Amino acid sequence: MKSALLSNVNVESIARQIGRHEVHIAQGFGVWTQELADPASATFSFQPASIFLILDGAELLRGQRGLQPLLAELDEHLAWIDRAAAHFPGIKFFVSTIDVPTRTLRPVKDERIERLIEEHWHEGIRRASAASANVYIFDLKQLIEESGRFHFYSNKRWYLGGLRFSTTGERLIAGEMERILDAQMVARKKCLLLDLDNTLWGGVVGEDGINGLQLSETGPGARYRDFQLRVRELGKMGIILGLVSKNNEADALEVFEAHEHMVLKKDDFAAIKINWSPKAENIAALAEDLDIGIDSIVFIDDNPLEREAVKSALPEITVPDFPSDTSELPSFLERVYKECFFTIESTEEDRKRTKTYLANAKRAAERTMASSIDEFLEGLRTKIFLTRAGEEDFGRAAQLTQKTNQFNLTTRRYSEQDLRTLESTRGGSVYIASVADKYGDNGKVIVGILRRATPDTAELDTFLMSCRVLGRFVEDQVLDHFVGELRRDGFSRLQVRFTPTRKNAPARAFVERLHGGRLLPSDAESGELIWEFDIAKASPVTKPAYAELVAKQLLLDEVVS
Amino acid sequence: MVEKLIETIARALRVPPSTLTPETGPGDLQVWDSLAQINVVSEIEAEFGVSIPFEQVAEIQHVRDFLPYLGKTS
Repeated sequence: MKSALLSNVNVESIARQIGRHEVHIAQGFGVWTQELADPASATFSFQPASIFLILDGAELLRGQRGLQPLLAELDEHLAWIDRAAAHFPGIKFFVSTIDVPTRTLRPVKDERIERLIEEHWHEGIRRASAASANVYIFDLKQLIEESGRFHFYSNKRWYLGGLRFSTTGERLIAGEMERILDAQMVARKKCLLLDLDNTLWGGVVGEDGINGLQLSETGPGARYRDFQLRVRELGKMGIILGLVSKNNEADALEVFEAHEHMVLKKDDFAAIKINWSPKAENIAALAEDLDIGIDSIVFIDDNPLEREAVKSALPEITVPDFPSDTSELPSFLERVYKECFFTIESTEEDRKRTKTYLANAKRAAERTMASSIDEFLEGLRTKIFLTRAGEEDFGRAAQLTQKTNQFNLTTRRYSEQDLRTLESTRGGSVYIASVADKYGDNGKVIVGILRRATPDTAELDTFLMSCRVLGRFVEDQVLDHFVGELRRDGFSRLQVRFTPTRKNAPARAFVERLHGGRLLPSDAESGELIWEFDIAKASPVTKPAYAELVAKQLLLDEVVS
Repeated sequence: MVEKLIETIARALRVPPSTLTPETGPGDLQVWDSLAQINVVSEIEAEFGVSIPFEQVAEIQHVRDFLPYLGKTS
């Protein structure tokens, strides 16, 4: 894209850095007003689509003229800009704000004319931009403030060759120019999909409950609130927002209704997929519903496994790395904006876009698709370390029984002492497992408690797993291992108990995919369901083993002792 | 040291390092004009964390002339 760069200092070195676009520079610096005033100037003859006017504040002040003549001169400059913009309505003019460093030595009490000059200029270009559709503000001062004058300017370069800015400063200016030029050519991304837990708020709603979430006006929870504010701003610029989360839909949506510090509302999202299916499937379905390409979607999730799974199933999607320091969340989204959604202006249509898609999406049917989930799970190189709980494990195991709501078959809450007693009782055994993968260790996340019901029947009293390893079928593999060990120890039947709660849909999905169970008559009042499996010949587990399971010896000996 | 110097200068000039030797100077490459010379100085200062005194910049005629400044910190 053709553009021209006008300045009151030497900007040739900046133009040289802009590789993707052709940039014309006026010969002889300081000629910028002439170039602007003359419709036949070399600048206009080049027929640029955009003209950048980068003005150095200190240079505008050169010559001791006093404040009033100086302001009058700025008004003259502004008048030339207005005239040029009116004469060439097809050219976009990006006019810089100015930074005027205080260089004069003067007493504290004296007037700060630098600020007056900056304000006067800003008021002028603000008015020009409001009056003319093709005048935009290039916020040079913002760039300088972000990095600091010390880094942005260079005395040596100035005295050597009239180069006002340091290489850092030049790079920032060139980067911003390229972003603006690119935005006029390259289609920006259309849709931002967000995870919920530990992304829109701190904590896990299914575990911590609404009141346990980190989300507040001030204090630590404000980092999530500020993040949401930025997300809402993207929505206002016409970016379609969507939610893709592994959660119980009712729990998650309740946060939108009931949490007083939620900035985003349910209606801010054109598409919502809150369920336990793989996210790649949900995203593919959602793209179809919204009728947008996968390549126009940006997906933000705090969980590296989810990011990796989505990236490998849908290579065209953009998945930015999540900041490891969550205080960086708001600035992270600024970066995502600049890289994926940057726009020079938004229209009324943009602002209504989410509503349009919301209506379209409601019409579109739900669909599912098979993705390469098997390949993904195998690629994780997951390892399960299963062991009989020792004294050092009771604390963590008790905590897991207290906190885990989603993948928890019976939701029986145990204290450390309860578990110790259970373990010392004949036929009761507590197991704990940790899960690691190529990205690191997830820690101890699985607890299973087996009891002897009759001499040949074992009963699964408790089986729970933290939701951070959900969706990888490690629970199936652990159960399968239990079955093998029970069989070896002479058990022929296993009873699996399931008590439905408002939150344990993932546990229900698990018991429902077990094979060959016989439902026993059970206590209707508690709603508890008991399936009995004949394990002498076959295992109820149908899922393949994706992980490597390492079990400590003597695993189940105590059960039959 | 010379290798890193050549890489740094090549980066500032946007040319492949192979086009430079310790004997190359601003007169030898078209892209190495007076403006590029300033960028070369800035790039070397940033890369090596040194300051090349203003008075000395004009005396630098070859790649090798930068070497005495590389070890000194400002």
